Amino acid sequence: MMKKRLSFLILIAILLSMVLTGCAPATEEPAPPEPAPAEEEPVAEEPAEEEPAPPPPAPEFIEIGASIPMTGKFGSLGNMVLPGYEYAVAAINADGGIYVEEYDAKIPVRFTYYDDESDPTKAVSKLETLYADQDVTVYLGGAGSAMHAAASAIAEKNQVPYCGIAFALYEIHQQGYQYLFSPFPKSPDMARDVYEYVNANVPEGERPTKVAIFAYNTDWGKELGGLWEDNAAEYGYEVVVREETPLAPDNDYTDAILKAKAAGAEMLLSMPIFPDGSGMFKTMAELDWAPKFALVIRAPEGVNWGESMGTIGEYVTIFPGWHHGADFPGVDELNAVYEADFGRPADLLTGPAYACVQIVAAAIESAGTLDRAAVRDAMAATDLETVMGRVTFNEDGTGNVWNPLIQWLNGALELVVPEDHATAEFFYPAPPFGER
Amino acid sequence: MARIQLLLVAVVVILLACLPLVIEKDSTLNLLVLILLFIIMASSWNILGGFTGQTSLGHAAFFGLGSLATRLLWIQGFPLLPSLLAGGGLAVVFALVIGIPAFKLKGVYFAIGTLALGQILFVTVGNLFPTISALPVEALRTYQLAPRYYLFLVLTILTVGFAYLLANSRVGLGMMAVREDEDAAEALGVNARRHKLLALVFSAFLAGMAGSAFAYYHVSYYYQFPFAPIWSFDTLTMVYIGGQGTIIGPIVGAIFFVLLREFLVLNVGEYHLIVFGVLFILVVLFLPGGFVEAWEKIRNLLVRRRSKRDRNASTTA
Repeated sequence: MMKKRLSFLILIAILLSMVLTGCAPATEEPAPPEPAPAEEEPVAEEPAEEEPAPPPPAPEFIEIGASIPMTGKFGSLGNMVLPGYEYAVAAINADGGIYVEEYDAKIPVRFTYYDDESDPTKAVSKLETLYADQDVTVYLGGAGSAMHAAASAIAEKNQVPYCGIAFALYEIHQQGYQYLFSPFPKSPDMARDVYEYVNANVPEGERPTKVAIFAYNTDWGKELGGLWEDNAAEYGYEVVVREETPLAPDNDYTDAILKAKAAGAEMLLSMPIFPDGSGMFKTMAELDWAPKFALVIRAPEGVNWGESMGTIGEYVTIFPGWHHGADFPGVDELNAVYEADFGRPADLLTGPAYACVQIVAAAIESAGTLDRAAVRDAMAATDLETVMGRVTFNEDGTGNVWNPLIQWLNGALELVVPEDHATAEFFYPAPPFGER
Repeated sequence: MARIQLLLVAVVVILLACLPLVIEKDSTLNLLVLILLFIIMASSWNILGGFTGQTSLGHAAFFGLGSLATRLLWIQGFPLLPSLLAGGGLAVVFALVIGIPAFKLKGVYFAIGTLALGQILFVTVGNLFPTISALPVEALRTYQLAPRYYLFLVLTILTVGFAYLLANSRVGLGMMAVREDEDAAEALGVNARRHKLLALVFSAFLAGMAGSAFAYYHVSYYYQFPFAPIWSFDTLTMVYIGGQGTIIGPIVGAIFFVLLREFLVLNVGEYHLIVFGVLFILVVLFLPGGFVEAWEKIRNLLVRRRSKRDRNASTTA
């Protein structure tokens, strides 16, 4: 009986292998014959003065898709990114769309996005869905380096140009990806600029020379934490504490803060997500450790930082890639529409998101087609004035963009460096928590 | 198995083998891959939980180890087949290491113990391998879904075939005896510990192979992801819904679960978790044998009605 069953299973396996052989992929079959050469099929001679063939019918929309973390640990960032995309698309569509030479027509943009809940695996799946169901011409990125690191591989696989902001991860650009573009400051910029900006704005004897780094145990955390540490000595700084924690909303920083305090650290460099950064600063206040200078990327970028932290959150600085006070064309218009909806000027990540759509639109127009490879080539050749200034791209897809320093002052986000765009003066040193 | 059933299996296999030729959309093929993946996971869990009665909540550990070993080796340039087998092998080694102490625990304590082991691996892998694992750029540019689909299909056939042979073998009957009453089985000469360990090793190897195939299939994920407890819970839910301890139950459960989840995710978003929670409770309370039991009940009812009708007809005649 057992032998019989075994034989039948073997039979099924043989059948399967026969079927698999029979169903060999088309690529392994000989190529179909080429169309007959022109001389075999006489072509009617066309009069020279005949008008060129009319352009093919234009598609109803140019499909652009995104997977954005609207909820979960990167939700506060995603909620700043989405309006940037939406306002830019609305502005383009109000003008009739993007002119595409191939169709000799302006085609409106249809923007589709999914909430990936800050889960990189879901982001990957949503991008696959956008490719399969919407046949998108371009992907717009979400927010958070961990999300982009997972998503950009899908763009490369599907050969869909990908424009992403709100991520500083540099290493992903060194993988040889051809379709990844990011007009956003990267880790090497942030690791250099923080020391240069402080040195340029604080007299030598008053600088906070001892540095504490609290970084996540993630791709970007390790990358930026390492670069901060590597660059310190060159600029006259010493890293006295470097702590790594998981990317979680509720890390306990007590030990790290006590170590930093004991080591006499005067500068804090960190990149916590919002609830984690909020907890970090509340613990710092309880333990009475107020570094003279704090660069905290991510957590203080949203207005909720000011609302929930009060004076504890004052004087913190950020590298968000943009500020609503920037003196670039289109910023005032963006602030006006944002103000009408939200009652405040555009948020820090809204501008770069808006710029991403400007770059994509210019690339499509320049390519004159919706062919993704052509759009990719046009994006690589970008040289455009956007709401975040002039943007060009390096070969690895990183952007040549400015990197302004923003500081929380009197409950507002102020642009403090560079001076020619500044909305307020850089404040240093941050006073102890008890004196605020 | 009746000849007609075997023929039906052969037809289904042939149809599945030809699907990549007629399906144009990658999203549909991805869905099929997901179904096949979960059939392997559910059938492998069923060997330990359904045949042997050892409810494990740490199945994701074997799946994750399979994916970890394969991904690391394959991306480093090892040939695919040895990399895949290494995934299954690592899962077996882990099963042997934890099996002996874990089977000192019984019932709910075994379940909690396996859950704890799974969680320990989940956290440890997250700490040791915090970076993204994306396929190298050359692999991305030449990526094709069809070979991945065929790998899953072959693994599914081997897993289900193995489960069928096991269920009808002396070892399989020993496992079921352990499930029904461990002490009675021991009294009859069945070495309970050996059978439980064998079930764990078989189950781990197949789950590890599923993880290996996942590593070959997935473009970009964090190493920690396949160790997430959701893989254990989803698998267990599928087996309970389909019918544990049967061959067809995990298959039906996996197909039903994946399709319903896709539908609910698109229509109700994250609320689908609530739907599955409620469904799981209802099945455990009212249909402990899952869909297979429901089908058996319906079939018995129809048979009884028909025989009653036949009796009435013969009495009248």
